[in-house]
Amino acid sequence: MAEKLIEVKNLKKYFDTPKGKLHAVDGVNFSIEKGKTLGLVGESGCGKSTTGRVILRLLDATDGEIIYKGQDIRQLDDKQMRELRKELQIIFQDPFSSLDPRMTVSEIIEEPIKLNKLIANPEQRFERVLELMDLVGLSRRLMNTYPHELDGGRRQRIGIARALALNTQFIICDEPVSALDVSIQAQILNLMKDLQKKLGLTYVFITHDLSVVNHFSDDIAVMYLGKLIEKASSEDLFENPIHPYTKALLSAIPRPSLDNKVEKVILKGEITSPINPRNNCRFANRCNFAEDVCRQSEPKLEEVKPGHFVACHLFKE
Amino acid sequence: MSDSLLKVEDLVIHFETEDGTVEAVNGINIELAKGRTLGLVGETGAGKTTTALSLLKLVPTPPGVVKFGRIHLDGVDVMNTSEKDMEKLRGNIVSMIFQDPMTALNPVITVGDQIAEAIMIHQKVSVAEANEKAKEMLEIVGIPGARSGEFPHQFSGGMKQRVVIAIALSCSPKLLIADEPTTALDVTIQAQVLELMKDLKIKYEMAMLLITHDLGVVAEVCDDVAIMYAGRVVEQGSLREIFKNTKHPYTEGLFNSIPNIDSRKAELKPIRGLMSDPYNLPKGCTFCDRCDYALEICKTEKPKRIDFSETHFSECHLYNDSLDFQLDINKTED
Amino acid sequence: MSSNVDAIKADEIIKTKKRSQSADVWKRLKKSKAAVIGLVIIVIFVCMAIFAPVIADYDTQVIKMNISERLEGPSSNHFFGTDEYGRDIFYRIVYGTRISLFVGVISVGIALSIGGFLGAIAGYYGGKLDNAIMRVLDVLLAIPAILLAITIVSALGSSIINLMIAVGISNIPGFARVVRAAILSVKDQEYIEAARAIGAKDHTIILKHVLPNSMAPIIVYATLKVATAIMATASLSFIGLGVQPPTPEWGSMLASGRQYMRDQMYIVMFPGLAIVMAVLSLNLIGDGLRDALDPKLK
Repeated sequence: MAEKLIEVKNLKKYFDTPKGKLHAVDGVNFSIEKGKTLGLVGESGCGKSTTGRVILRLLDATDGEIIYKGQDIRQLDDKQMRELRKELQIIFQDPFSSLDPRMTVSEIIEEPIKLNKLIANPEQRFERVLELMDLVGLSRRLMNTYPHELDGGRRQRIGIARALALNTQFIICDEPVSALDVSIQAQILNLMKDLQKKLGLTYVFITHDLSVVNHFSDDIAVMYLGKLIEKASSEDLFENPIHPYTKALLSAIPRPSLDNKVEKVILKGEITSPINPRNNCRFANRCNFAEDVCRQSEPKLEEVKPGHFVACHLFKE
Repeated sequence: MSDSLLKVEDLVIHFETEDGTVEAVNGINIELAKGRTLGLVGETGAGKTTTALSLLKLVPTPPGVVKFGRIHLDGVDVMNTSEKDMEKLRGNIVSMIFQDPMTALNPVITVGDQIAEAIMIHQKVSVAEANEKAKEMLEIVGIPGARSGEFPHQFSGGMKQRVVIAIALSCSPKLLIADEPTTALDVTIQAQVLELMKDLKIKYEMAMLLITHDLGVVAEVCDDVAIMYAGRVVEQGSLREIFKNTKHPYTEGLFNSIPNIDSRKAELKPIRGLMSDPYNLPKGCTFCDRCDYALEICKTEKPKRIDFSETHFSECHLYNDSLDFQLDINKTED
Repeated sequence: MSSNVDAIKADEIIKTKKRSQSADVWKRLKKSKAAVIGLVIIVIFVCMAIFAPVIADYDTQVIKMNISERLEGPSSNHFFGTDEYGRDIFYRIVYGTRISLFVGVISVGIALSIGGFLGAIAGYYGGKLDNAIMRVLDVLLAIPAILLAITIVSALGSSIINLMIAVGISNIPGFARVVRAAILSVKDQEYIEAARAIGAKDHTIILKHVLPNSMAPIIVYATLKVATAIMATASLSFIGLGVQPPTPEWGSMLASGRQYMRDQMYIVMFPGLAIVMAVLSLNLIGDGLRDALDPKLK
């Protein structure tokens, strides 16, 4: 069994709102092996982006453990955490707002190296920036351009170069291609896959787009209103989705093909928000199969088949 | 064909800015018959939104300039119609809905009033009657009529888009222009809204121009498809023709760039390069630099329109000699 | 590989660097005719202030009384005429420019540094600190600025320095608000989060990322506030609380010339015009800056 690079145990993040406590992330568990990709999937309000940020401690978790290379990083102080940030990075969704508009391409990529005093010599730093630009496919002559002068695809490459500038091993990718045109999406996804192979990176790939995650991940975890409701290898999830929500999600995706017409599961109702949730299955009010037990107690995530976990009363042993 | 609801001929629209002239739309031809749905597909910068706005004379006229072309909408010559007369068409014969439901609704007016407003502009009815009709419209789009007194922020994204659809359909238009109507919505909500649009299309016998970049949505909802690139329609045909007998390399490129959920192919094949600079379009075929099939002639001469059937055409030099040339995508079995 | 060739090219690229941002703003500013006019006027004033000693000698030509030449109209000898003490109005206006600009800029500087600092930490850290600072400043804001200035000068005594302090203090809450708002609009941007993700500390983030990106509204506000500071200076001097005679100041010139307004209109007209032109030009520049800085990105 390969080495577990990161493990998340019972991770919780609650926010205080005027209406009550928002259970954005409510007891999430998963682990990822080095060099692999976990796809974290769900719609608005499911907590996937929050989970990503909590793992990197950009937001402080309310409870739980985040074990990186055997160490619970929630226990680290600011100084130790800053050391660790060299290895844990993030790529943002919006390639525009995630880059400082007043900095040039090379300044953006150079900043993490400068800040962390990784390379003291300016010329060597310059070389490293050029190296990184080559790595992500950014033409060197773009060194002194500003983000607003470039298109979304190139801007996202800058974001990736910045994430790789340090001794990065683990990257949270928060919807990295959602804001890009289709043909550019494919370019960036291929780039990220190549980099993973080349540098042995481990990814958490957060997205709402199931077709992209199928292509990109080894394992997939589906979230709904703060809870992990299904977890399996990509192949298994797509061939045998078990949870009613996963099935609905998969069937809802419009397929660019005239064959394989899938019976659509249309869910009733709207996605609500997990404020002051009660002890019930959070999907019950929209589920076409909900029974009494679903409205009275919360199902636990259980291993229903080897490597395939589901949180649903209908599929317990 | 005089029974076409919409006929666009040789439309050319430029934007004259201080940084140069953007050749946004470069001679397109569209025909839409009553009750049919045409999908207008393309990426950012292809010119689809500009085209849609021009149908309703909504392109901001500085800096936009319609250089050439004719638009016939339900027998009306749009180019030669006054603003006043266009107002009678908008929301009445032709309605448009936009991508972002969050900003399409006025936050300080109730949803019922916003629907009623659309009705009262075009129909001679009393306020009470308009309000009644507004409640009916809400029910039709799947929202309880009792909620007509609520404000937009009290609704979720999917419901806001339904309200927008209710407003658009309140005067039973013959043509609905929908500009990426579900792009901003979650997948399961998108499915709901698409179902709704399909039902309403049948119920109202409405023609629809659906602008989207998502070929999956096209496969769901459209009868015919037009693929746009750099301001031109590079391929147009029925749904079946486009999906099963693809003719233009750009269309092939689009299909190859999308990960298909049902076939877990090993590599995505993106289209290399970027869309040409609209300030400076190349002399020959605009897709030439990115095309795997490019020939010498593509660099210097613009391709002519080639008809493959009564409904299917494409603009590409590959078929100058023979109509039988097949792109790779048609050769592979899935 | 081709890294040598690229290395050479890279050297060239670096030299054509930073000019981009401010040069862009300058180009856009030049497009507004109004802003350009404002700029020209303000440059004239600044030149007058700097070269005042070259234009006229302070002791003999500005404050020395010449009763024999009193109340003379504009002539080739005295461009704007003479006042009730026979002093040349034109030379007095030139020297008055020094005071107006000096007090205007320094008082805004005081307000910007103190108010800006308070607004920045209130905006960046939020929460109770934000509340505490802003509520205290609200108390100050409740008092009309000019009244506040009057109170301070009355308490401290009339002098140029106290004028600067008074006008400066009365502007602190305004600057705190503007800076706080600018910071709030920037601090939740993703690139700030990105900076945190690469290990930047708070002070680095504020200085390197937040402040440079929030400068636009602050610059515009500061420009407009110099205009109001000039007006405040003139107002305070007009009611006798600012500069003391015989120091030439536009406002006090208005005050002392008031009684002669009917027959020797030029005594008040020229100082009045000076105030109007200075304030107008700064407003035009401020408006032009607002447009030039705004559509920069996005």
